[in-house]
Amino acid sequence: MNRAFVFLAGAGLCLLALTGLLFRSAATVRQQGNTVRDMTEIAACLRLTDISFSHDARYTRHPSQADLFSAFQDHPGSIEHFPSGSVSAPPDFSGIGTAISAGKR
Amino acid sequence: MSLTKHINILDYTLLSLLRRKFRNAGIILVFSLVICITGSVLLLTYAFKREAVLVLGNVPELIVQKMTAGRHELIPVSLGEEISRIPGVSGVEPRYWGYYFDSFTKANYTVVTPGGRLSEGNKLLQGRLPSAEEKGVAAIGGGIARTRFLGIDDDLALFSPDGKLRNFRVVGIFQAPSELLTFDLIVIGKGDLQELFSLPPGIATDLVVGVRNETEAPVIARKIRERIPDSRPILRREIIRTYDAVFSWRSGLILTLFAGALAAFAILAWDKATGLSADERREIGILKALGWETSDILEMKFWEGVAISLTSFFLGILAAYAHIFFFDAALFAPALKGWSVIYPRFHLVPFIDPYQIATLLSLTVIPYIASTIIPSWKAAVTDPDEVVRG
Amino acid sequence: MPADTIISTSGVTKYFNRGRPNEVLAVNGVTFAIRKGDFSVLKGPSGSGKTTLLSLIGCMTRPTAGSVVVAGRDASHLPERFLAEIRRKTFGFIFQQFHLIPGMSVLQNVMIPLYPTDSTLPDLKRRAAALLDSLDMSKRAAFPVQGLSGGEQQRTAIARALINDPDIILADEPTAHLDTALSKDFMEIMKGFRDKGKTIVIASHDPLVFEDPAVGLIVGMRDGSLTELKRRG
Repeated sequence: MNRAFVFLAGAGLCLLALTGLLFRSAATVRQQGNTVRDMTEIAACLRLTDISFSHDARYTRHPSQADLFSAFQDHPGSIEHFPSGSVSAPPDFSGIGTAISAGKR
Repeated sequence: MSLTKHINILDYTLLSLLRRKFRNAGIILVFSLVICITGSVLLLTYAFKREAVLVLGNVPELIVQKMTAGRHELIPVSLGEEISRIPGVSGVEPRYWGYYFDSFTKANYTVVTPGGRLSEGNKLLQGRLPSAEEKGVAAIGGGIARTRFLGIDDDLALFSPDGKLRNFRVVGIFQAPSELLTFDLIVIGKGDLQELFSLPPGIATDLVVGVRNETEAPVIARKIRERIPDSRPILRREIIRTYDAVFSWRSGLILTLFAGALAAFAILAWDKATGLSADERREIGILKALGWETSDILEMKFWEGVAISLTSFFLGILAAYAHIFFFDAALFAPALKGWSVIYPRFHLVPFIDPYQIATLLSLTVIPYIASTIIPSWKAAVTDPDEVVRG
Repeated sequence: MPADTIISTSGVTKYFNRGRPNEVLAVNGVTFAIRKGDFSVLKGPSGSGKTTLLSLIGCMTRPTAGSVVVAGRDASHLPERFLAEIRRKTFGFIFQQFHLIPGMSVLQNVMIPLYPTDSTLPDLKRRAAALLDSLDMSKRAAFPVQGLSGGEQQRTAIARALINDPDIILADEPTAHLDTALSKDFMEIMKGFRDKGKTIVIASHDPLVFEDPAVGLIVGMRDGSLTELKRRG
């Protein structure tokens, strides 16, 4: 058994697989053309402006429609504020009262 | 000139790589992981962007918001008349929409009114869409149907600001493939929406401005700002740019999270680039003493770089494809979608940019091959005598 | 110079680390000739320069001054790739440390010199297997070299030196790691090659080697200079 041929055949097979996936993608895209067309129609009909990714604050639900600065408005407890809450959920302060105390200690 | 010699050298290279199986398998593993992560981010970001741009390609060209004290405010419908007098404007329509915070599920829904009808053939809506004039009926997104356990003809109960419960009969449910767009939507008639949110008459959320010639949209936007200084026109182009920025920022964020892996690989490559191991140096010396030419040694090192980096590239990119398009980006989706109470389920349309894959190939494979060949150069040109006398 | 001279040196000199504080004069103006079919030994204590002289003859390093002529070609001024070609086509090396490549089998080690040539792998394998067979090593062909005994390692090194069917066999301290019986075996194998018309050059300070009656030419070295040049038989 010649290792070189095994390697070259393996590499060729991978290349073939990759090309296959590219064609599969292209085919799927064409197949889902109707879906995309229907979605475009829904967007046009409902006059939607944004993608529905995150629904917990209006500056994440409608990034294009929010104020230009929209940090603290919707979730005062959120740890990251700008750009809007991407990774972590706001901490649950419901049981321990507010984390920020006012006045003198 | 025959190929046999090159095949032989490749065969020897593989044999030599197998001598250090675990070390080389480790390098391939880390290298594939790095390529898989980078490739996943590129594929995911690109697919999201393409889908967003395609779907949002038909959104209104120009939307006018009213700003009060720097914040988005409801807009009087009467402003539409003033705007429609601007040359180039083909029509102005008020848009009614808002957010509904559902205290049962602790999630925000988006309530909108329809601006027209869907064609009969639209497969993404089961049932029908309420018309703008209808009352007491609603079409809802898949997310709401799931969290509130609703089907067609069930009742959706929503509180209005005065604390009264209002019921809407569900006449349509958006299907899963459209969740990227419709996940949290509640579509009701205009009158219902005004009652639900207690909107005063003559007031809309914002205005949709039709433009005769799209290239003139920025000019019209400027004129609107001149005539109504407290307005904020939003162009379609800006929306699409916003999405581009959001996804780029988030893909950058994911790459930052994995910077550790990237750094580990950079160290590994650096280690290889700055020196040969004593074992490799000795091997080169022996080969030269046995009659291998410098060019044969360099060819062997070239094949070594090709074998490791190409294998890693293929493994990595195939894994990345499977991860993104077969497993719906299970590892990255949380960071890319952001934190949320409820997540949309959607299947990405596999948009792929071959150019990006080619770029990834050239940015990983070629530097690796170079970092394999360059340090062996010195060992390959020294006299075998020095190595062999030990 | 006789017509059947295969290797000749004239005033060959080799410095290491020339011009630096650790400069060493390893070989100092050595002139001698080896004829085709000679069984010759470079004799001398360790550090006398015999390994360096062997490297110079074998085109593994270039002289600082003087010339080395191998089979009619002056090797001291040839470009590197011609030197590699001479090493591959003319010489078979048996190193003191054997220098087998660990992690590969006996058969694969024997095949190494011929990889960068146009002979196909099955062909190479056949030749290597035949050689191992002639050295009584065929049962070890698939064995990894690091597991071999000293004598088996040397036989592997011998087979590797012969795979390209060289005219000249060079061996550096071949008996250093062998007991008396194995050393005698080695000399027997070498004599067999001499009888086939090969030229043999061995660097050694082992009396068992240079006192062997088969040795025809003794080149004595001390401190890099020639001290003795004796032809016997």
